Amino acid sequence: METLFGITGKDFVIAAYDTKAVASITMMKIGEDKSRNLNDHSVMLYSGEPGDGVHFAEYIERNVKLNGIRHGLEMSPKAVASFARRELADSLRSRKPYSVNLLIAGYDVKKDTPALYWMDHLASSAEVPFAAHGYGAYYCLSMMDRYHRPDITEEEGIKLLKMCINELRTRMILNMPDFVAKVVTKEGIRVVQL
Amino acid sequence: MTSRLPSQAKGGFNFDNHVRNAAMEGKGAALPKATKTGTTIVGLIYKDGVVLGADTRATAGPIVADKNCEKIHYLAPNMYCCGAGTAADTEMTTSLISSQLELHRLATGRQARIVTAMTLLKQMLFKYQGHIGAALILGGVDISGPQLYTIYPHGSTDKLPYVTMGSGSLNAMSVFESRWTPNMDRESAIELVKDAIEAGIFNDLGSGSNVDVVVLTKDKVDVLRNYARPNERGVKEASYVFRRGTTQVLKTSIRDMVDIKETVESIATSTAMEVDAV
Amino acid sequence: MEYNGGAVVAMVGKNCVAIACDKRLGVQAMTISTEFKKIFQATPKTYLGLPGLATDVQTLAEKFRFKINMYKLKEEREIEPRTLAHLVSSTLYERRFGPWFTEPVVAGLDKNNNPFICNTDTIGCINFAKDFVVSGTSTNQLYGMCESLWEPDLEPEDLFETISQALMNAVDRDCLAGWGAEVVVITPDKIITRTLKSRMD
Repeated sequence: METLFGITGKDFVIAAYDTKAVASITMMKIGEDKSRNLNDHSVMLYSGEPGDGVHFAEYIERNVKLNGIRHGLEMSPKAVASFARRELADSLRSRKPYSVNLLIAGYDVKKDTPALYWMDHLASSAEVPFAAHGYGAYYCLSMMDRYHRPDITEEEGIKLLKMCINELRTRMILNMPDFVAKVVTKEGIRVVQL
Repeated sequence: MTSRLPSQAKGGFNFDNHVRNAAMEGKGAALPKATKTGTTIVGLIYKDGVVLGADTRATAGPIVADKNCEKIHYLAPNMYCCGAGTAADTEMTTSLISSQLELHRLATGRQARIVTAMTLLKQMLFKYQGHIGAALILGGVDISGPQLYTIYPHGSTDKLPYVTMGSGSLNAMSVFESRWTPNMDRESAIELVKDAIEAGIFNDLGSGSNVDVVVLTKDKVDVLRNYARPNERGVKEASYVFRRGTTQVLKTSIRDMVDIKETVESIATSTAMEVDAV
Repeated sequence: MEYNGGAVVAMVGKNCVAIACDKRLGVQAMTISTEFKKIFQATPKTYLGLPGLATDVQTLAEKFRFKINMYKLKEEREIEPRTLAHLVSSTLYERRFGPWFTEPVVAGLDKNNNPFICNTDTIGCINFAKDFVVSGTSTNQLYGMCESLWEPDLEPEDLFETISQALMNAVDRDCLAGWGAEVVVITPDKIITRTLKSRMD
């Protein structure tokens, strides 16, 4: 039911989430934040088991921040993704594993490139040019494949994202209220209301 | 959460993935198959010792995983063991017991007895309550003469003069039942074992390819790998080599290896450095 | 195995070996990535192929990197392919009753530059082969292709064509594998890595 999107471009990554909080068949809330900023240049979006997402994302967030303070160096998106993957993979082998799907969007300041990592609840992770989680993925991956280029600008990225959301609103039986997008660039993370 | 560092010196099985795998199976994921040896293995006692025999086919479901595998495992200089069932289990169980026997031999300074190996095997298999799927034929010669045992996955054992195991055991046993006699000579014993295995190879779908034979006597062991090869593959009439450049390549990267040779040059002692004592 | 899809094959040639994999990562029928590699360099002349459940592929790739590095530090030499095969086997058999969902392939040249290939099942039963080994969701198709295309003593360039055609034609009959391929040919004096142009459907 929940949908997450991620699109990379020339010098940015857009990560978007729907703001529904759902319990069974009831929509409990609109305006839920499904993202955590891990440091100045990476953001994590999560969906899945209610509670697990917040708990896991905040655990990663704090450890990434702690690592930054300890070493005086910001973890790259790749480092953040590897760390989160390993934590999730370890938790899978415990009695009560986290059930969360993740997108990690970041800007690698050293390499001067955007990075987007897709990760599922089994802790399979892949660096991808664009990604989606949830039922929305079945509708939107094909559209992203058609319209995405590695060198798109931020405006084109937002436009593509809006096309995807529009498709969900017309085709999905579920009510799709508002989405929030976070754009990560060299300058940092900012929120874009869609 | 436990330590993040992979443990290095820990022994025994690790059950960490079991909960996760059970959950995945519950969600309908198909779990992969382990390699099994749908097998024909036999053993018999003859005048001077023991002959063990096995086919060489390993299967994964209906697929032939290995056309010429080895199912007669070394246990000790005077003992060999045929394995049927889950391939990894027969391999790992026999190599574990083999190393225990080696230590036993070094500790006692004596040749290990066949009953010792049999007891080690049955106690291990009984401990795991049949979950280790190894069905074994243990044969050898020790101080009390030639010995032949069968060991089942749950840990029960038999001591018999001629035995068969695996999916082709019925085919092989029918050959033994009609032709085995006490005090056979070496040549006819090997021939009977070969015919019993071939009955499995040709009539049981889980068994196939070649016949391996091991002959154990008081002071000599003969490992006759591929003693009979009744299923030679025909020679290909044509070559299917593609013209070079058939496959379209997007990107090529070549890493050249460089040989680094290190040599030591000796320095004349007369020019050695001296520490000024003053 | 069928959850993420993927295939690996390795072949022996004349004084050389080749190992190849497809590059798809999927979640059942949905393709997530076409740049997901399943073969990893273990030593300068040995590669390890890990097709199967993607999370275990990644976890094991890390685990084996650690173990191979530890071996190198302790022994002060590179691990031999045959030794690596037994390391893989015992690592998998440790989880006999809760296995990793991957069927590894080892391919490389030993210290005398003799070719070595093998694969294991999910619980570490080693299959030493003199010709070729296959693994992953396209196992059946690859067996058919390799059984007919492979022949002894192929030169590195011919081995490349044979393994590439075997892999690409096999994954074309497998919905869960394909979407790009990578081939590594290991010879005594060089390692040739090629990315293939393949069908993307």
